[in-house]
Amino acid sequence: MKAYFNYFKLMLITHFQYRSAAIAGIFTQVFFGFVYILVYTAFYESNTAVNTPLDWAGLATYIWLGQAFFSLIYPMYIDHELLNTIKNGNVAYELIRPQNLFFKYYFKTIAKKLSHVLLRFPAVIMLGFALPASYGLSLPHSLLNFVIFVAALISSLLLCSAYSIIAHLIAFYSIDARGITTFFGVVADIFMGGVVPLPFFPKVLKTIAYALPFRYIADFPFRVYSNDITILEGLKLLGYSSIWIIIFILIGYIISKTIAKKVVVLGG
Amino acid sequence: MVRLYFKHLLQDIKVALEYKSSFIFNFVSSLIVTFTYYFMIIALFDKFSNIAGFTKYEVLLCCAIIHFGFAINETFFRGIDKFDELIIDGALDRMLLRPQGVLFQVLASRTDLIKISRVLYAIAIMAIALVNLNIEWSFQKVILLLMMIIASIIIFFGLFVLMASYCFVTIQGLEVKNLMTDGGKFAAQYPIGIFKKGLKFVFTFIIPFAFVNYYPLLYFIGKENNILYFFSPLLVFIFLIPCLLSFKWGLKRYNSIGS
Repeated sequence: MKAYFNYFKLMLITHFQYRSAAIAGIFTQVFFGFVYILVYTAFYESNTAVNTPLDWAGLATYIWLGQAFFSLIYPMYIDHELLNTIKNGNVAYELIRPQNLFFKYYFKTIAKKLSHVLLRFPAVIMLGFALPASYGLSLPHSLLNFVIFVAALISSLLLCSAYSIIAHLIAFYSIDARGITTFFGVVADIFMGGVVPLPFFPKVLKTIAYALPFRYIADFPFRVYSNDITILEGLKLLGYSSIWIIIFILIGYIISKTIAKKVVVLGG
Repeated sequence: MVRLYFKHLLQDIKVALEYKSSFIFNFVSSLIVTFTYYFMIIALFDKFSNIAGFTKYEVLLCCAIIHFGFAINETFFRGIDKFDELIIDGALDRMLLRPQGVLFQVLASRTDLIKISRVLYAIAIMAIALVNLNIEWSFQKVILLLMMIIASIIIFFGLFVLMASYCFVTIQGLEVKNLMTDGGKFAAQYPIGIFKKGLKFVFTFIIPFAFVNYYPLLYFIGKENNILYFFSPLLVFIFLIPCLLSFKWGLKRYNSIGS
C-alpha cells in the first residue's frame, strides 16, 4: 500500500511543476466557457417560448463547473507513458514488479488528474463568480448540496481514472492503441454529458445515458450543485456511483491479471 | 513540386496500410470522434427551433464548411501542425539543406490519412444540409459554395503557418496554438452573427472566420442580396499574407543549435 501511496505523491509533486501549461490550460478553458455560454445564450434568447430542460442559471453553472474541473472529468486523456511500455517492451519490467499494474497506474492517474485540476480550477471558478449573474456561476443551492457535490466530484475522479486505465489496458492487445483509447474516451464523453448536458438529449438517448455509469463523471456532480438533482436523489446516486467504482476497479484488476498471464514479450 | 508531394503521399498511404487492422480501428474511432462535433448542434435543435434566426440545416452547413477546411489541413499538411517537433529533433536543419522550399517540405513531411474520415464526414453533412435547405441554385451559388470551401482551407492553412512561425520564437508548441486553431474552429462552427460584439469583432477583423462562413452564408441562403457578400470569401486570402511573411521572417532568424 505504501508503494502505491509513494507513486501518488511522486506524480503529484512532478505535475505541480508544469505551471505554464496550467496557465495556458486556464486560458483555453475560459475561452471555451465563453463560447459555450454565448452559443447557449443565443439559443435561449431566440426561443423564449420553449420549455427548456435546464433553467439558465443551472446551465451557466453547469458550463463553468465543467470548464473548471475539465482536467478531472476529461475521459479522453491518453497516457503515452503507459502505452509506450507496450511498444518499447518495458511492460516486461512492469509485470515483474511486486506491485499490481492496474493499481500502480490507477494511483498515478488519480494524482495526475488531481494536480492538474488543483492548479486550474481556482482561477476558472473565481472568474465564473466575478462575471455578471446572467453569464456566470451561481452559488450552490444549499450547504448540503455543496457537500454532496464535493463527494460526487471525488467519486467522479475515482471512477473516471479507473475507466481510463481499463481503456489503456485493453489497448495492450493491439500495437497502435490510439484508436481504442479514443473510442473509449468518446463514448464516455458523450454519455457523461461532456458535449451536451444530458437533459438536452433526445428521449431514447437520455434513458440510455441515465442507465450507464458515465453520468456519475459529470452530469451528477454538476447538476446536484444547483439542485437540478435534489438532495434525496443525490444521496441515492452517490450510492450507485460507489458501486460502479468498485465494479470498475474489479474489472481493471482482473484484466491486469490476465495480461500478466498472456503477455508475450518479443525478446531483445 | 505537386508530383513530388504525391510521391510523399503515396509513401504515407503504403505505411498506413501496413498495419491494416490498426488503421481500420483508428479510422472508425475517428469517425465517432467527428460525430461529437455535430452532436451538440443536432441535440440542441431537437429542443430549439432556431438560433438567432438560423435553422438547423443552415448551422450544419456552416459547421461542415469549417470542419472540411480544418480536416483537409489535418490530413494532408500534418507536418505544419507538428512543426515544433521538426525543430526539436533537428529535422528542420536537414530540410534547409535540400533544394526545395522549406515550407513545401514541411507540408509534405507528414500526412495523417486517418483524418480523411473527417473530410468525408464534412462532405456528408454538407450534402445533407444542402438537400434540406431549399436553395434556388444558380451558377453564382455553386461558385460561392466553392469559394467558401476554399476560403475555409485557406484560413486554417494560414493559422497553421502562423502557429508554426510562433514555434520559432518559443521552440515548444504551447497550448496557445490549440486555442487559436481548435478554439477558432469551435466558435466558427456557428454563424459568427449569433455572438456578441466583442467576439464578432475578433472573428471579422483579426481572424477573419466571418468571411469564410458567415457573410457568404447570408448571401447563399438568400438573407442578403448585396454583391459584396458574394465576394467576401476572397478577403481571406489577405489574411494569408501576414501568415506567410511571418514564417519567412522566422526562418530567416532561425538559428539551429545543431549537434
